[in-house]
Amino acid sequence: MSLGVDIIKHGGERPTERYKRDKLRSSIVATCLSVRAPEGQSEDVADLVCDAVETWLKKHSEVTSHDLRTVAARHLKKFHPEAAYLYEQHRITI
Amino acid sequence: MNIPTSLAIIAFAALIHASFQLSVSVLTLLSAHTIGAKHSQSKLLHLTISFLFGAGLMTILLLSFISLSLLNIFGSDTPQIVWAVACGMLGGVAISIWLFYYRHEKGTTLWVPRGVASYLHDRIKSTKIGAEAFSLGLTSVLGELLFIIAPIVISALVLIQLPAPWQLIGIIVYAIISTLPLIIIWVLISSGHSISDIQKWRESNKTFLQFAAGTGLIILMFFVYANELLIEVAGKV
Repeated sequence: MSLGVDIIKHGGERPTERYKRDKLRSSIVATCLSVRAPEGQSEDVADLVCDAVETWLKKHSEVTSHDLRTVAARHLKKFHPEAAYLYEQHRITI
Repeated sequence: MNIPTSLAIIAFAALIHASFQLSVSVLTLLSAHTIGAKHSQSKLLHLTISFLFGAGLMTILLLSFISLSLLNIFGSDTPQIVWAVACGMLGGVAISIWLFYYRHEKGTTLWVPRGVASYLHDRIKSTKIGAEAFSLGLTSVLGELLFIIAPIVISALVLIQLPAPWQLIGIIVYAIISTLPLIIIWVLISSGHSISDIQKWRESNKTFLQFAAGTGLIILMFFVYANELLIEVAGKV
């Protein structure tokens, strides 16, 4: 599903791209799997987070990738705090 | 300097090297990506052990290269000025570690060049085979050269004074101790420990690790200074 929302990447340093649910979903599934959550649970959590993020996205025509990640992490925290921690840490580990 | 003292200096320098975190960060992210990409446990073990060997080999190569270069330039009787410069470098790196090692923000972001960090990030994502993980291990050691150069140079200066068989032992001791955190993390990940727990531990202890690395370098500086310069000067008086 495409919401027609543009994602501004790296503060405009990389080309802007359209929001893709699959991309967000697979990053959340991967994070949940990284903390050894079962595959089914990971997919369920990813769907819930994507739904919540899309509710937020409907109010905007463009958002930054950083904002998208922050909102996704906030919702992920409700469903899987351990995965949310790792999701937040991804860009601040090195 | 006798053999036990030399080996003790090498072991202590390696311990300081072990407290540096770039390779540990890369190994943590590599493991997270591999598990997240639904690869098998054997694939995870294969990639992480390849990374570990890469980091270990680059440490050995760096130490051997610097030792050989110093041996060719100064011979086994290193001039005192070189020891003094090396001690100064230890002090300088120690202060930079206290001030700059971690960026003042959340997480465990390091003061390595951002280009190197983003290159490592991209390589971690695309690592699929052992050879790539091995080269990632090599690169991660090079990425932290600014900090690890101090303990490596001191170890090299100590190594070249030792008889040949002890030089080999010294290099092995350095390589094993400096890769110890990677070995521990490899064991933890292989035995099913959560990566987020490892990262939480690293984040909550980062100030301690930073302080310990800087203080360790200062202690090493005073010890080497006293052993190589003060005793030598006192002997001449």
